[in-house]
Amino acid sequence: MSFKEALNSGKFTVTAEAGPPKGTDIKKIVHECELLKGKVDAVNVTDNQSAVMRISSTSFCKIILDMGLEPILQMTCRDRNRIGLQSDLLGASILGIKNVLCMTGDHPNAGDHKEAKTVYDIESAQLLRVVDGLNNGKDMMGNDLQGATDFFQGAVVTPEANPIEPQLMKFEKKIDAGANFFQTQAIYDIDKFKEFMSHARKFPVKVLAGLVLLKSAGMANFMNKFVPGINVPAELIGELKEAGKEKALDAGIDIMARHIKQLKDENICDGVHIMAIGAEDKVPEIMERAGLL
Amino acid sequence: MIITEKKDRKHLLEKIKEYNSFFLLGCSECASLCGTGGEPELVEMKELLESEGKKVTGTFVAKTGCQVLGTKVEIKKNFKSEADEAECILVMSCGAGTQSAVDIYKDKPVYPTNDSLFLGNMTRMQIFDERCSLCGECILEQTGGICPVTACPKGILNGPCGGTNEGKCEVSPDVDCAWTRIYNRLKAINRLDDMKEISKPKNWSAHKKPMTLNVREKKEEGKK
Ligand code: SF4
Ligand code: SF4
Repeated sequence: MSFKEALNSGKFTVTAEAGPPKGTDIKKIVHECELLKGKVDAVNVTDNQSAVMRISSTSFCKIILDMGLEPILQMTCRDRNRIGLQSDLLGASILGIKNVLCMTGDHPNAGDHKEAKTVYDIESAQLLRVVDGLNNGKDMMGNDLQGATDFFQGAVVTPEANPIEPQLMKFEKKIDAGANFFQTQAIYDIDKFKEFMSHARKFPVKVLAGLVLLKSAGMANFMNKFVPGINVPAELIGELKEAGKEKALDAGIDIMARHIKQLKDENICDGVHIMAIGAEDKVPEIMERAGLL
Repeated sequence: MIITEKKDRKHLLEKIKEYNSFFLLGCSECASLCGTGGEPELVEMKELLESEGKKVTGTFVAKTGCQVLGTKVEIKKNFKSEADEAECILVMSCGAGTQSAVDIYKDKPVYPTNDSLFLGNMTRMQIFDERCSLCGECILEQTGGICPVTACPKGILNGPCGGTNEGKCEVSPDVDCAWTRIYNRLKAINRLDDMKEISKPKNWSAHKKPMTLNVREKKEEGKK
């Protein structure tokens, strides 16, 4: 079953994130992706995440496609103008990549090439429209394509953005622009997430809750302080602290597994997107503890 | 107005070290307000150059340095010999003013003493904010009068990016998120609907460098 079919069938869908490395040695990440085979519905490949230069998302999508996994191509508007974006989308399409996640992209200021010229010719909502156009055989200028694309396109949303109203307006715009599914910023407070979902459920879109693996209390505190829209509740930080240094990762895996189980059992959303950030090899274990395998 | 900042003086002296005599040209408009090219700054520059053993043949604060013809007439009328005598013209206004002098002195080296930074609003004396980046096709009517092309580091339309954080921008906690400001403003003036429609991709070709505009010719065409 493809990722699109899985979501549309009502199956609790699981995706995992893979960040290609900086440099040509891909042994480690290929090994980690091997471990995901037959377990997750799709692997979401980041596009120079945090504006740190790495292997192109498209290239690595093709590698995992050949491995028998289904890739989701993350595409940001930071580095390519409208010509580059459309050309790369057509390129991804002929490689057999079917899913694309449209994002504006982190500012180069956050990354390792701070002097780069920012592009942002268009942004996420407009990019979704572009994908819709390509799917319908037209480029942005309305020119006919010799062969249309067949993308299943999605976008991101931050359920705990502050203020929330403009975020929800943008969420609706992205739906209008053709988003079929959403992947959320990391959530840790399921009750708060339920509030967001009661709004999101009014729209014909699928939502994958974003989950970032907590590896230590320090990491949780860091994210609370520096990552917009992430709020790790004090109880969870307490749990990590109590587990002690040695067992903190294990506690983090427990927390995520528990959350996945609750999201699934209570039918809160349509699936989860697991971001293990450097501990990708733990994804099967998380899924096992959540009762998904 | 055009906001300018003085170049590092050591660096400047290094660039002009081969010349011995200078004519200093300031500007009474933006550069005077920025404190980079008014009477006091010209005096300061004259003293600096003289302390380095250089000669200053004359100094003049042009009325409007970016006005080529007016500046030419002013110099030729009042400072012709002083300017002619100098080996090099030092322009203490913006990049546009510097290039007026290049037009006027086709056979003389012309150097800028300032860096030109942005088109700014003066919010208080000598405090400047960038509000407009001259994109060529103004969309302020869609955004409650706050310019996302300029105030948002990504220049995006259609609402905040994922980095917006309690009213601040992902790029720096010192920068307000343009889209939170736009949202608050539209709410205050009861026009939130303006934000609901998806803005089309911007026509960046409306600012195609180098821009020119001939108002006179346009008027003539209008008459026909
Ligand atoms: S939309 Fe363009 S013209 Fe209008 S304020 Fe912004 S940059 Fe200036
Ligand atoms: S946080 Fe706001 S101002 Fe900063 S880049 Fe994002 S939308 Fe623009």
